[in-house]
Amino acid sequence: MSVLKLHPEKCTGCLRCELACSYMQTGEYQPAKSVIRVSPFEGHTSYAPYTCTQCAEGWCMTACPVGAITINAVGAKDVLDDKCVGCKLCTIACPYGTMFYDPATRKAFKCNLCGGAPACAEACPTAAITYEDVATADWLGDFAVERTARVLAEAR
Amino acid sequence: MAARHLVIGGGTAGMNAIRTIREEESERSSITLVSAERPYSRMVLPYYLDRSIAESHVFTATGKVLADWGVTAHLGKRVTALDTSASACTLDDGTTIPYDDCLIATGSSAVRAPVPGADGRGVHSFWTLDEARGVITQIQPGGHVVMVGAGFIAFTILNSILSLGAKLTIVEIAPRILPRMIDDTGAALVQAWLKEHGVAVRTGAKVARIEDVKGRKRLKFAAGGDLVCDVVIMATGIKTNLEWLKGSPVKVNQGIVVDEYLRSSVPNVYAAGDVAEGRDLISQKAAVHAIEPTAQEHGRIVGANMAGKNVRYRGSLIINIVEVCHLDVASFGAWDDTGAEAASSVKADRPAYRKLLWRGDRLTGAIILGRSSDIWTVNDVGMLKGLVQSGVSLGRWKAYLKKNPFDVKPAFIAAKTTSTLLPETVLGRPSKAPGETPVAV
Repeated sequence: MSVLKLHPEKCTGCLRCELACSYMQTGEYQPAKSVIRVSPFEGHTSYAPYTCTQCAEGWCMTACPVGAITINAVGAKDVLDDKCVGCKLCTIACPYGTMFYDPATRKAFKCNLCGGAPACAEACPTAAITYEDVATADWLGDFAVERTARVLAEAR
Repeated sequence: MAARHLVIGGGTAGMNAIRTIREEESERSSITLVSAERPYSRMVLPYYLDRSIAESHVFTATGKVLADWGVTAHLGKRVTALDTSASACTLDDGTTIPYDDCLIATGSSAVRAPVPGADGRGVHSFWTLDEARGVITQIQPGGHVVMVGAGFIAFTILNSILSLGAKLTIVEIAPRILPRMIDDTGAALVQAWLKEHGVAVRTGAKVARIEDVKGRKRLKFAAGGDLVCDVVIMATGIKTNLEWLKGSPVKVNQGIVVDEYLRSSVPNVYAAGDVAEGRDLISQKAAVHAIEPTAQEHGRIVGANMAGKNVRYRGSLIINIVEVCHLDVASFGAWDDTGAEAASSVKADRPAYRKLLWRGDRLTGAIILGRSSDIWTVNDVGMLKGLVQSGVSLGRWKAYLKKNPFDVKPAFIAAKTTSTLLPETVLGRPSKAPGETPVAV
């Protein structure tokens, strides 16, 4: 399957991915409702997007007591709104912190790869997010080690 | 001859086991389910109570689904005896069912505090679907509900009662609320939050008796004034449903003692969920968790092993979350470990609290409180679970997190937690979607 491959060294922190994601997912240009989240590193001199890995276990999916999380046609774990009751078990089961909850609709939501045409990847002007047929991986770990060295040195 | 599997109990553990048997088996087996109730999810009953879902939404398998899955179901029946030497069980209607292997997943029941009047009219438990049906018709807008008990179960229905327009008073015998889910600091914050939202809380309050008074209920206490209300809900604890197993050689301690494959002391008898005393992931000690995620993982492991796999279970992680009037309250792992190194922080400007617990440079437990509308709270809930579950070595990030417990993400990412977590699966293979279960192997 294709997944979102993240290239943090290319991210400029422009947040277009968050706008595109929220618009695609909710119909509103509201980064607060984006399921891809850009984080600053090294005192806001570097940035990296972070989102669901579409992990093999699918902790969110197996935790759901009513079978409201399924695998969609492109292989993404996807919340079925009509089945989700808003119990939040998925938000504590997901060990990556990539489940979201909307208090207005009382539903959980997450990255569903936009059904095969991810809006974030399309919107990214620097190709820091690409949609590719590769195995999912820890795209940010090495980058974060390098770009947090100073913050970490100060924490001692 | 194809294997004959017997599943006793149609709750989360039992239904996950059945589904996993069908996912994993190489040859179609016979599955018999004995369940006192139609299979449903207890987790979603609060949403049935507040009428945001219909009763039909709570069922996890209809008769048709069970038939599609090839399950012979004895619903509304209870097992009265297990003859492990003959490998057969007897039901309350006299039916005998022979098996090759068997899963005990009979769950637990609500227990009421032993006070006079606790079994009277207008006094309810909220645990089973039948009990939920009994409560739903009684809570009226403007009515007064008294909840006896301030534990996790009580808190799962708190929002529902308020959203029905009732006035709520919580009484708790202990000096504080949520004693088995969060620490004193967290409990004090939640109690203040409840007060702000119009919920009265009386701690250290021992109910002496419950009386009828002009069609309403009156609670008398060992000390302090009476409370008069319309409905009493007793959320005073649960006990495992294991009385029926007395006299069998299946070894029971706090629950049925199981090995890392979830087999009991009788090799062809498994146990899962609330009745199983399995391994705790953090302490690696035997424990009864009685939480939904443990029941679900136990059920899947047993299902795979009944289907002939040999799947070892790492142990289960305690995870709990409740939403209290739009405040998320969650805890993970060994949050109450007095021998752990701990760091905590309360935000002065908003209801937010974090407590992180360490053994060496590994996070072994966490408590988190924050507004549900705050996405960082929701994301950090997951990442803290990931740090505890993966047990990654945090090295110098430990010092950072102790100073900055509200900034979890850089530590999570830079400790390469994702790399550790990605290969982790419960069954040693990618999970299947709920609708993908092969029904005709």
